[in-house]
Amino acid sequence: MGGRDATMVLLDENGIRCDGRKIDEPRRIMIKAGGLKNADGSAYIEFGDNKILVGVFGPRDVHPKHMSNTDTGILRVRYHMEPFSVGERKRPAPSRREIEISKVIKEALEPAVMLEKFPRTAVDVFIEVLQADGGTRCAALTAASVALADAGIPMRDMVAAIASGKVADTIILDVNNEEDQAGQADMPVGYMPSLKKITLLQLDGVLTPEEYKKCVDVGVKGCEIVYELQKKALHDKYFGNRKD
Amino acid sequence: MADKRKYVIPGDVITSGPFRPEQNVVLEGNNIIATAVGISEIYDDSVKVIPLTGKYLPKIDDLVIGKVVSHTSLSWELDINSCYIGFLPAQDVFGRDFSTHADELSSKLKTGDLVAARIANFDRTRDPLITISDRDLGKIDDGVLVKISTSKVPRLIGKKGSMIQMIENGTNAAVTIGQNGWVVVSCESAEGLSKAKKAIEMVNEKAHIANLTDLIQDMLDGKDES
Amino acid sequence: MTSVSVIDQLKRTQILELLEQGKRVDGRALDESREISIEINAIPKANGSARVYLGDTEVLCGVKIQPDKPFPDVGDKGMFMCTAELLPLSHPTVETGPPQAPVIELARVVDRGIRESHMVDVSQLVIEKDKSVVGVFADVVVIDYDGNLFDACSYAATAALLTSKTPTWEMVDDQPTVVEGGDKPLPVSTIPVSVTMGKIGNHIVVDPNGDEWDSMDSRITITTDSDGNIVALQKGGSDGFTQDEINQCGELSVKVGAKIREQLKSAQEESQ
Repeated sequence: MGGRDATMVLLDENGIRCDGRKIDEPRRIMIKAGGLKNADGSAYIEFGDNKILVGVFGPRDVHPKHMSNTDTGILRVRYHMEPFSVGERKRPAPSRREIEISKVIKEALEPAVMLEKFPRTAVDVFIEVLQADGGTRCAALTAASVALADAGIPMRDMVAAIASGKVADTIILDVNNEEDQAGQADMPVGYMPSLKKITLLQLDGVLTPEEYKKCVDVGVKGCEIVYELQKKALHDKYFGNRKD
Repeated sequence: MADKRKYVIPGDVITSGPFRPEQNVVLEGNNIIATAVGISEIYDDSVKVIPLTGKYLPKIDDLVIGKVVSHTSLSWELDINSCYIGFLPAQDVFGRDFSTHADELSSKLKTGDLVAARIANFDRTRDPLITISDRDLGKIDDGVLVKISTSKVPRLIGKKGSMIQMIENGTNAAVTIGQNGWVVVSCESAEGLSKAKKAIEMVNEKAHIANLTDLIQDMLDGKDES
Repeated sequence: MTSVSVIDQLKRTQILELLEQGKRVDGRALDESREISIEINAIPKANGSARVYLGDTEVLCGVKIQPDKPFPDVGDKGMFMCTAELLPLSHPTVETGPPQAPVIELARVVDRGIRESHMVDVSQLVIEKDKSVVGVFADVVVIDYDGNLFDACSYAATAALLTSKTPTWEMVDDQPTVVEGGDKPLPVSTIPVSVTMGKIGNHIVVDPNGDEWDSMDSRITITTDSDGNIVALQKGGSDGFTQDEINQCGELSVKVGAKIREQLKSAQEESQ
């Protein structure tokens, strides 16, 4: 972190952003399904300079027993950043931010997972941020969805996520770290593309009612782009990238 | 007869209309949607998805391989590679008039022992009930445990057992396949054991390859390069 | 590991039978470690990093180097700290929550192995005596478990430190400020290498894999430096070693350590 460059141009006269992107252009995204040997399901994502690994276990027995639900399985999510993942070394203990993000991601996945058929069990999603660069919760949610599918957890839809935002009075897609720090608004969006439902939505910043609608729309369209990469990741692993 | 097979991931719309949703699909409005990564099949009146990943879901009468992970004075708990722990009551082994004595249980089965077992009962309100009281069941004294994906078990068995017979004949190994993806291989010769293990691992990794049977036959005959 | 994994008895019997014949299940010799794969700069934004694969065990170390306040009585020395964490996605038995004794032991043994070798000269890490020093943090996380975390974590931390780049700071208006163009390799003086040996029955095996780790009765981790001196040692597990076995382990740690040191040296050279 450290001193922000107050003179950094977030959007120049040609509509180019501080990292060379156009206003509706997401950063480079790479998603891989699988990779961990011991987890039941896993996924790895690179989203810009974000590097995030997700491991899933379950459905499995819940300990302590009193935490289990007799009618349905429960979903547990832990979002955790490594000490070396951010500019200034972070202490290993969970911060309030990590705890909040864990909850928000859990609630973004719950509409998709179908755990009624697994009473008294839990599905554990462990998210590890190895390197952070703005938009980690969206990248994490995207990878978590792939890891759950990789583990064979029944889901009625995938959940894809990306953040839209505003810099220099312009709505942009996929807010990076500098834009998050110095821009005017940051809106992470999580979306189920088949059921067309938004399951994660937060906002930091100031938007007029018109900008708000545009920002949501840009976010949803961005999620559809991300979804194609989730599909590719699963197809590459399970279908040898063949068509039907 | 199933027609129109498709590769699907969760959320994919398989078809719409008056079909009955079967395994791993769900009805949303008028659409039948896949809920698992796998291969969808549409029948005359129903739709299902064969999953390519996921834990073993116990089915009554399935043969499974289990590992004893703990016991009380009344029962053993078995890891059967499922979401639930298998429950093997002491009466199943000792008969109806056994008396509760912790020592007696570990005299028959200890933590870490492997058993060939059958699912006696299962519904989601309680853990699966296991039995080892048939002639072909019980503690496994000899062999090596190989773990494969549950979804690959049918491929390992083959049409009318053709694949597993080919492996057994080509190696003189005895193979016990658990529906839960755990497989026990035993063989007099170390070479036969190693070949049988390799063949099973090949099925697990290359189940989707068309000429897998030939590849495995070549490996068993010693004709492959590796 | 934080919980006991139940190893299947057939496997344990097989491991013992093979050891009686001088063999191991994966074909290795008793004094042979698994293939070690080191990927440096895995986390480009950190000052240094390394991902290490030891068989199916996978660990990642990231090094952060940043200004810090010195310890109260030690104003003329910088700070060095090495931690290790077992991530819950590495194995189904790993619990979340505050670290338990086995993980704390792992972290402290890895830290000691590097600290006692004086690999990082903390007297060179002072910006202004008593006011501002450089803190070097090597944080290791375990991503996948297949036995012998002691060595895997140690190699990752060592490789990350060997290939780290540190900025130079000077005091400007009483604040440590980065000097432009002052990036340089972290000054290191030796390459510590840890070698862990397990005792299964009466046999000593180097670099126990996951199954061997579950079967062993006790273990010992010995760290040597580039001069072949033994600088740190930890015995663990619930059985004992004879004096001869301890001596044998000392010799093995020097011999096996030397080979692995070559690999770490190559990683260091690759980064320069």
